Amino acid sequence: MPELRRDPVVGRWMILDDHSKGPLDFSKDDNTPTHQAICPFCPGREHQTPQEVDAVRPVNSLANTPGWLVRTVPNKFPVLSSDGSLQKEGYGIYDQMTGIGAHEVLIEGPEHDKNLTEFTSEEMQAVISQYQNRFRHLSKDRRFKYVMIFKNYGSSAGATVEHTHSQIIALPMVPKTVLEELKGAEHYHQYRGRCVFCDMISQEYQDKERIVVENTSFLAFCPYAPRYAFETWIIPKGHSADFSNADESTQAHLAQILQDVLKRVKKVLGNPSYNYYLHTAPIGYGNMACYHWHIEIIPKLTRSVGFEWGTGLHIVPTFPQDAARYLREASS
Amino acid sequence: MSQLRKDPIVGRWTIVATERARRPAAFVDPKSTVTDQKECPYCQDTNSPSVYEAHGVKVINSNDPILDESKPFERRGHGLYDVAHSYGSHEIVVETPEHIPNMADLSSEQIKAVFQTYALRMQTHRKNPFIEYILAYKNYGVAAGSRNIGHSRSQIMAVPVLPMRVQDKISGAEKYFDYHERCLFCDIITQELKSKDRVVAQNEHFLVITPFASRFPFETWILPKHHHCDFAEGIKGYEDSLAAIMKDILLRFKIGLNDPAYNYMIQTSPVKNPSSFKDYYHWHIEVMPRLTRVAGFERGTGFYICPIPPEMTAAFLREVDIHA
Repeated sequence: MPELRRDPVVGRWMILDDHSKGPLDFSKDDNTPTHQAICPFCPGREHQTPQEVDAVRPVNSLANTPGWLVRTVPNKFPVLSSDGSLQKEGYGIYDQMTGIGAHEVLIEGPEHDKNLTEFTSEEMQAVISQYQNRFRHLSKDRRFKYVMIFKNYGSSAGATVEHTHSQIIALPMVPKTVLEELKGAEHYHQYRGRCVFCDMISQEYQDKERIVVENTSFLAFCPYAPRYAFETWIIPKGHSADFSNADESTQAHLAQILQDVLKRVKKVLGNPSYNYYLHTAPIGYGNMACYHWHIEIIPKLTRSVGFEWGTGLHIVPTFPQDAARYLREASS
Repeated sequence: MSQLRKDPIVGRWTIVATERARRPAAFVDPKSTVTDQKECPYCQDTNSPSVYEAHGVKVINSNDPILDESKPFERRGHGLYDVAHSYGSHEIVVETPEHIPNMADLSSEQIKAVFQTYALRMQTHRKNPFIEYILAYKNYGVAAGSRNIGHSRSQIMAVPVLPMRVQDKISGAEKYFDYHERCLFCDIITQELKSKDRVVAQNEHFLVITPFASRFPFETWILPKHHHCDFAEGIKGYEDSLAAIMKDILLRFKIGLNDPAYNYMIQTSPVKNPSSFKDYYHWHIEVMPRLTRVAGFERGTGFYICPIPPEMTAAFLREVDIHA
């Protein structure tokens, strides 16, 4: 029977359809790499991107030359500009401000057709450590309130360049989805004195059926009230609000479980397009008692319809316990 | 430099590209909507009996419903989580007996009958004490989530919970009213009529604008100029005007953007305690052509990047010759 379920953090209701769809019931994108001859992210074409702002590269190699393992450059077509000051302005009843921010591209590896699932553990760790470096660096800019790290993989998830990469956007305000999580988590904490995410983790251990995989520091599970089919979260098992505090061994565990989950998603769903993004406490909030950083991975399997846009009431065709079982049973 | 704009209702920020904005013509849908009449289930006499039928409009129960009214509504807890069975109703409104794909090509009379049908169904569903919200909406074209049948239709869902975005709009409007003692939507109408640059079309009773902090290119809202919180009550006496402005805006999309996929949804007040919303909520219709995909950043942040300013899309839509 279909169910209505409520997300315990933001209070959003969703509908679970009872014609539970299996992994093969979704239409697929062909995400086989084509080896573009003109890829600006490939080594040897460093001059085609803006000057790099950070990289993981041997100590003796020069910036903007080959030899790098991970390379971060400003986006050539940024949606926000990092030059200028933040000016807020009213316009009748409306509010607006200048489009100040940073928009960077993090090229995850030098090889054009190698994606995260094929990386060695060192290469994976280099990506995570670069995420944290950029996060810490951008957090120092006083104009910014939030740093969003995300990845679009495959054309229907919004990727326009196929060479493996993530993006980082620094914003002068806390985005709405994160605000909603913060508000919900704060409300829960006021009432119960506990972190709602920590409570979710214990509930997931009790129920077991939505767990995908775990390692020493992290749990991967399909949330009870998802917005999308096969939505999967990776969350630190111990309470931690701020990603920038993750130490080296935690980063290594994150690299391991992120790659593990992506391999399972690839295997079960046939290399689908996907997005993932990191939710963490806003800049300067530090280790809040009520919030808990995490990564949300969303395979792009269905289109959202008018009903979902209009109401925020998502209709999900796969029960999370079924999605978790498929992912759990796939040997990664 | 791009601009950050805040939606005054729900407080959502949008990045609006200005300098490097894409031109309106870059959004014109390259492929028109293909249809196949042979297998249209809405042209033949369907087996499912209609729940309502008048003026060429027929309402039938969805044969693949995700909501079910047959068992009583029951909420439960599951540890930390809340769950309920998927109670409610899901109906299909077949808008015309003829096999016409796009509502833009129906007569104004027929469009009026469709909107009157929504109102009547809403009046019926709100008598059910378990129903909290009723949504009438349309998915047109595959990109908007519709199956490729080519027979103009829309849907009505009655649900036992208050959906999140609806809750957001209502609490935003309530906050504004608490402070200003005026309706936020009425203030939007006043400001848009004064500045004019986001006005697409209007008639005596309705105004069509591209909202200041649009989430999507060519996002369009239809607002009644007279204040009313509830669609079903509020359209009484204004049905002809509404049908005329709907046809007007849908033709502008069809002609100007080459028959794109689109969604529209009626945003009306919740079913229960209507008197508490009557001062500060203001029903309206959101129309959304589906021209770009939503990528990871938007999904993760709830923060949208609109690749073209709404002033530019309003100007483009204003200039479409719908009488050509």
